Amino acid sequence: MLDKLTKSIRSAVPIALAGTLALTTPAFADPKDGGTLTTFTTGYRTLNPAVQSGAATGMPGSQIFAGLVSVGADYEIQPYLAKSWTISDDFLTVTFKLVDNARFHDGQPITSEDVKFSMEGVRENHPFGRAMFGSVANIETPAADTVVLTLSKPVPGLMVSLQPLLMPIIPKHIYGDGQPLKTHPRNMENVVGSGPFKVLENNPAERLVLVKNDDFFIEGKPHLDRIAFPLVKDPLTRVLMLEKGEIAYAGFSGIRPNDAKRLEKVDGVTVTTDGYGAIGYIHYLELNLRDKPFSDHKVREAIARAVDTNFLSKVIFGGRTVPGTGPLHTGNPFYSADVPIYAPDLDKAAALLDEAGYPVGDDGTRFSFTLDVPSWAPAAHVPMAEYTQAQLAKLNIKVELRKAPDFGTWVKRISSWEYEATVNGSFNYPDPTIGVHRHFDCDNIKNVIWSNTQAYCDPEMDKMLDAAAVESDFDKRAAIYAAIQKKTQEDLAFIYMPQDFSVTVYNDTVKGLPNSPFGALAPFSDVYLDE
Amino acid sequence: MKGSDVLKGTLKKLLNAALLLLAVLVLNFVLVHAAPGDPVEVLVGEMGGATPEMIEDLRKQFGLDQPLYVQIGTYLGNVLRGDLGHSLYYDQPVTQLIAGRIGPTLLLVTTALLSAVIIGTMLGVFSAQKRRSALSHLVTVISLAGFSAPVFWVGIMLILMFSVSIPLLPISGMSNAQGATTGIAYVLEVLHHLILPALSLALIYLAFYSRLSRASMLEVLGSDYVRTARAKGLTRRLVIYKHALRNAILPVVTFAGLQFGQVISGAVLVETVFAWPGLGTLAFDSILRRDTPTLLGILFFSALMVVVMNLLTDVIYRRIDPRIKTR
Repeated sequence: MLDKLTKSIRSAVPIALAGTLALTTPAFADPKDGGTLTTFTTGYRTLNPAVQSGAATGMPGSQIFAGLVSVGADYEIQPYLAKSWTISDDFLTVTFKLVDNARFHDGQPITSEDVKFSMEGVRENHPFGRAMFGSVANIETPAADTVVLTLSKPVPGLMVSLQPLLMPIIPKHIYGDGQPLKTHPRNMENVVGSGPFKVLENNPAERLVLVKNDDFFIEGKPHLDRIAFPLVKDPLTRVLMLEKGEIAYAGFSGIRPNDAKRLEKVDGVTVTTDGYGAIGYIHYLELNLRDKPFSDHKVREAIARAVDTNFLSKVIFGGRTVPGTGPLHTGNPFYSADVPIYAPDLDKAAALLDEAGYPVGDDGTRFSFTLDVPSWAPAAHVPMAEYTQAQLAKLNIKVELRKAPDFGTWVKRISSWEYEATVNGSFNYPDPTIGVHRHFDCDNIKNVIWSNTQAYCDPEMDKMLDAAAVESDFDKRAAIYAAIQKKTQEDLAFIYMPQDFSVTVYNDTVKGLPNSPFGALAPFSDVYLDE
Repeated sequence: MKGSDVLKGTLKKLLNAALLLLAVLVLNFVLVHAAPGDPVEVLVGEMGGATPEMIEDLRKQFGLDQPLYVQIGTYLGNVLRGDLGHSLYYDQPVTQLIAGRIGPTLLLVTTALLSAVIIGTMLGVFSAQKRRSALSHLVTVISLAGFSAPVFWVGIMLILMFSVSIPLLPISGMSNAQGATTGIAYVLEVLHHLILPALSLALIYLAFYSRLSRASMLEVLGSDYVRTARAKGLTRRLVIYKHALRNAILPVVTFAGLQFGQVISGAVLVETVFAWPGLGTLAFDSILRRDTPTLLGILFFSALMVVVMNLLTDVIYRRIDPRIKTR
């Protein structure tokens, strides 16, 4: 698989493609037209992925909006709104040719001006906008079907960022009216998209219904008449609805591991963990490195040796996921297993704590600290925290758990750095410049959640991150990321817990599901119902 | 009682109600803002992160960069003008959000409460008359069980029984997920979806009203005027339903009025389990999302309902009990 990935990334970035790929993703046998695919939503505040990351907006957003490219199973970059592109030898100029028959849902043609407007909008408003397009120095539109990007430095992660989840093509004639894009009323009302499905009904209190875009620029697509997203917030209700067939598709993290086990036994239902490599959700223990005891590497190693991530993978996720070994998900093409592994060893951990100057005191403890527990993934985070507490008690470390009553409380504690340690988790996203660099870059120690809140700073690491961000040769880049992964483990910048359990559950009548590493967040143009 | 006294009394009641609402507004505002957590941080978290500049912009946009006394002054001024603020999460006026959600909640709670009051009172009256019968004990047991079972558990059990084991009723939502129906078909669809959530909620109220009407009826049946009515040779039916019930029902009316004012608190869990698109789910989500304006709007609306229903209960009470008119 790595060979394929290597090849695909190579083709995605430095090699010029000029209309060599077909406009369609893999073909499926006799797809049938018609029918409604019912999935669910847990609630969304906007339908515009240009201003919002995450699955709640991303899943419908990738259906409502098209991107310049789409991403295939092995990260190969495929034409979508861009029928071809060329990349200059110095990797600093990228020229896109757009398809000539694409129209927005209101009938207006999609032009290079819309692409320019979209990229600028994402750069300014999306949380990862700067990370993805901060090096795009200039966007020219010499013709209605031509976009030329001039980069201030090579951006290897550029192409994979151009699919609809991260850079949807939005209409300039709607959003270019001077109102702020982030709070633009058309993000929710009368949404005009560019993708395979249009908004038919948008009632966030009850449901979102998308209907087939009959004028979609890819002929014969999409196959479905409608996609319905009823609001179902209760996880158990979702399971019952899947069992009963009221929901035919559930993607991402909507189903808990034990529920997935139960659903596997239901006839006509398939459960799969495939297709989440590009999202790459990893849990970890984040220690505030500013102060003692966690500024001491020996203490961090002692904790790493006390926490058996294999055990956690088995117990919390039923053996359906693997321990994290560094900042990259195993599904990421740059993943490297060549990292130090801290085998569970309580004796060694105790010795390390003694060496670090934390012997067992008269009160029977070495030291105590507060471990914050977020509210947003309780099924994973609460047992991880409780297990950590129990294991560290064996080392005479007293851990007080501080469970956040809501998301805001936890965010406030961590982003204001007023914490000692927290259970946490974050997404890799397809390119490490988006989801990984943010945690280790010295310049990114900010009062922003999921930045470098733990205050890890190392000049050597910064140098490697800078080099990886501009390296266009896949193998050389992979080597740098291998070194980065090794260093994060050596330094114990985080103590990695298991990778998350992201799962897709679907009724067997649903065919042609995206085989992209973006999984549920990829376009559903090929999906059909075989009933 | 003179007409001017009635007017004075009504005005006094209205003034008290207005002062109460003002106090509720201020108290809610202070309490919600005293709670830990920052709405902008929640929004940013939902967005996946943001730069400090973006955070600062959002704070300014929502007026959260102002001191608390300025925020509360602005808020009270806006409420007096009928503006409950703007939802931080939905980016919509709060009044518009509440207006969109009140219908489903009223439908759910009215159905549940009315069914519970009518059936509960009937059961209570019945068991009071034959208080040592097996059926009376059964009503007591069912009432206690209904009152003590957590509403979300009852909801899930009902789903398992009537949606999964015997697939008669839909599991979730107020209408079909695809949302394609209109007209009479839509009404029928809503009624079909209403049965389980209304039943879950009604079971609690049912338990309460059967106990209340039973106790009240027992008390009334032992009173002198009922004995006198019986001694006069009136029929049993006339004694029970004309003389006893009219008095026994007074506490039921009082509690029904008060409980109707608490619609949102009663509906929160049921609406969440059944994904019923009402104020309960909006309140629940607003707490989790720190959507302060929406939460304050719902709390204010809830307080308004309590006040209005108290006033209405007072009016109904006077109609049922002529003694109150003369006081």
